[in-house]
Amino acid sequence: MPEIQERGSTHVYKVNRISKEEMESMVARCVYEEPPSCNAACPLKLDTRAFLKAAAGGDFKKALQLYEKATPFPLILSMGCEAPCEAKCRLCERGDGIAVRAVEAAAARYGQASRLGSVFRTKKKKTVAVLGSGLFPLFLAGELEKKAYPTTVFCEQGDLEAFLRCETAFLDEEAFSLELKRLKGKDIQFVFGCTLDEDFFARQRETFDVLCASETVAKKLFPAAEADPALMILEAEKLVTGCGSGVMAAAFGAKKAALTVDRLAQNLDPRNMRGSEGATESRLYTDLSEASALRRVPPGQNGYTPEQAAEEAGRCIQCHCEECMKSCAYLQHYKKYPGLLSKEIYNNTQIIMGDHQLNKPMNACTLCGQCTVVCPNGFDMAHVCAVARRNMVSTDKMPLAPHEFALMDMLFSNADAFLSRPQPGRETCRYVFFPGCQASAIAPETVKAAYLDLCGRLDGGVALMLGCCGAICDWAGRFEMQESTREFLLTELSKLGDPVIIAGCPSCRKELAESIGGEIVGIWDILEQIGLPEGAKGMDRPAALHDSCGARGDAHTQETIRNLASRLGVKLVETEYSGDRSPCCGYGGLTAYANPEVAGEITRKALERTDAPYITYCMACRDRFAREGRESRHILELIYGTDAGAPPDISEKRCNRLNLKRELLWELWQEETAEMKLDYELTYTDEARRLMDSRMILTDDVIAVLNDYRENGEAVLDSETGMLIARRRLGNATFWVKFTEDEGRYTVHGAYSHRMNVVRREG
Amino acid sequence: MAIERTYYTIDPEGKIQCMKCHVPLIKGKAKFMYLDNGFPVELPVCPVCGFVYVPEELALGKVASVERALEDK
Repeated sequence: MPEIQERGSTHVYKVNRISKEEMESMVARCVYEEPPSCNAACPLKLDTRAFLKAAAGGDFKKALQLYEKATPFPLILSMGCEAPCEAKCRLCERGDGIAVRAVEAAAARYGQASRLGSVFRTKKKKTVAVLGSGLFPLFLAGELEKKAYPTTVFCEQGDLEAFLRCETAFLDEEAFSLELKRLKGKDIQFVFGCTLDEDFFARQRETFDVLCASETVAKKLFPAAEADPALMILEAEKLVTGCGSGVMAAAFGAKKAALTVDRLAQNLDPRNMRGSEGATESRLYTDLSEASALRRVPPGQNGYTPEQAAEEAGRCIQCHCEECMKSCAYLQHYKKYPGLLSKEIYNNTQIIMGDHQLNKPMNACTLCGQCTVVCPNGFDMAHVCAVARRNMVSTDKMPLAPHEFALMDMLFSNADAFLSRPQPGRETCRYVFFPGCQASAIAPETVKAAYLDLCGRLDGGVALMLGCCGAICDWAGRFEMQESTREFLLTELSKLGDPVIIAGCPSCRKELAESIGGEIVGIWDILEQIGLPEGAKGMDRPAALHDSCGARGDAHTQETIRNLASRLGVKLVETEYSGDRSPCCGYGGLTAYANPEVAGEITRKALERTDAPYITYCMACRDRFAREGRESRHILELIYGTDAGAPPDISEKRCNRLNLKRELLWELWQEETAEMKLDYELTYTDEARRLMDSRMILTDDVIAVLNDYRENGEAVLDSETGMLIARRRLGNATFWVKFTEDEGRYTVHGAYSHRMNVVRREG
Repeated sequence: MAIERTYYTIDPEGKIQCMKCHVPLIKGKAKFMYLDNGFPVELPVCPVCGFVYVPEELALGKVASVERALEDK
């Protein structure tokens, strides 16, 4: 058996197989982080979704805190704003959108005003003067106070109440007195009864670092000047000012103006570093299938009561996109949406020195492609992980440990267990049956029956090729092994006269189509043409059809399998995630080897769809489901009346492949192969077999250890348990076997292994 | 120089014997080596033939976690 070279950990970079631009364009497809439509529509960027969530829970204090982040005067805004968020609410597509404004007003009434500390905050050194009265100066003074600028408002009015009355006639008395109280609580200086003329302006210019004015005052001072609506500034006069009318224009204008003041106070260009301002369009996808036509909670004369506000806010469906995470146990396990996970996996491939903390998640994806189908933008997590794996391999950073067992199994399939023969009596053939390594390992009798059937019913001869298609090394990212597997298979196929490949497994069909090309059909296509053999029989109770991830996007194969199931008389149970949306069984992408825990979760998630038995058309799916205790049958078992029975362990899988090869060679080609026989008696306890299977230790490994022990006698004896413990280094791992010996008969009680090499040290 | 760690945890002393040399294993010097890294350690060793014993708990515990850490370097 050939060995695979372990990597060195200190190698340097060689090739970068994924560009930053490619990754960024991929990450941009994930809309998870996009704001909901209501939030995007708000120029003040109120986090409407979080606000409504807090209000729905009756937490008006938190709701108000969120609202105060958007505006210093919540009641004025809620009563005067045009509410662009309400128009964009996705519920409008099903009924009434959320009455956001009314909930905001309720939060402003019932929530506790934030006491965020003017007292405790360090004030900025630069000072700002705001000239005039009305909504813009009011909001601007509030915004500047939030930014901790010592702010003084100069107005013509005689007191604070008169100042607040300007442009706020839409407020009822209760709201007015609440906002007056709020204004009094703010750390803003007021100078009343001012004459806001040119002299006054010139004097303040000497005193303050930045000057601001209402639109009216600015027009009076500089009649010809036009303010820049993006920066809210008369540039030549260095005067920050308002423009436009209405509550929203004032509130949004004040936000922009406050940022301009901030830049000017630091002697920076107000044009730069402004970030995203104003309303945007959101790309967020939200599934509305469960949102039904709904009506608003009607407000009373004085707006909502706390209960009504909470009820109305509770209608919010909290728009978010988790289409992929709903169906994928892998994404659920890591609790990260694909955009973020991909970024982290990409960064993982770029680390030269240091820990690659994303190796495990990168190797836990089944590469099944379900996310791409369910994602509204076709995010391809499988591509990200597959490229990342190839990248890690090409830079020598990929550990061999997660995939070595599977890769060695593939080498075994294409060496010791490999068989390629033309149909007896022929040199070359029109077809070759390629059942796939898992079919031979799990259901050898079914493979034999299928091959004999094809030989008997197809003209032109059917060759047989038992081996691996190369999917294993493809999934592991071992592109060099993939190339050598391709060359090996091409050579073997040419010896058979380059026949049409009849694949027994959709994943093999897909892999061979990509690597070998030429004409490749599924055995299901042939059976659809030539009809079912005699004795083919469905199940006596309804079953669900599990579509293989190898057949994703292949409507023809999915339909053909359904036709065959129907001919078998199977009554199929429909499941939500079937066809192209089918989940992986947990075998794909070598997850079952690299991360058995996540693979188990994926299998159980796939089984959640129904309690019925499953019919599969990939042998690995059949095996995974059966291992979880669910009745599952490969469709070929039904067609050929065979029953693969209980799922074999890893050693039995190898044994099945060898036995099938030996049996067929003898029965069909009259070639005898020597069967390896032990010259001593060896048994395993059930616990030992269970441990060996979960620890991926083969009976061959155990035999190699015992042979070594029998030769050189090296072992230790645990005098407490009476157990002998021997070891042997095989390839990249050391295997230890716990056993008892009774007159040349051995009973294995346990086995374990480690990859670390342990040697004696002198001195 | 790396710190020499002891993984000798045979209790009671002498319960593990070398089958070949018929003597109890004692605390001895050994070395862990993996992926171009080496660490000096103390493990149960046969004083006669030098057989180094790695108990199951150690292999599945500390050794496995060090392997994972080195693989992710």
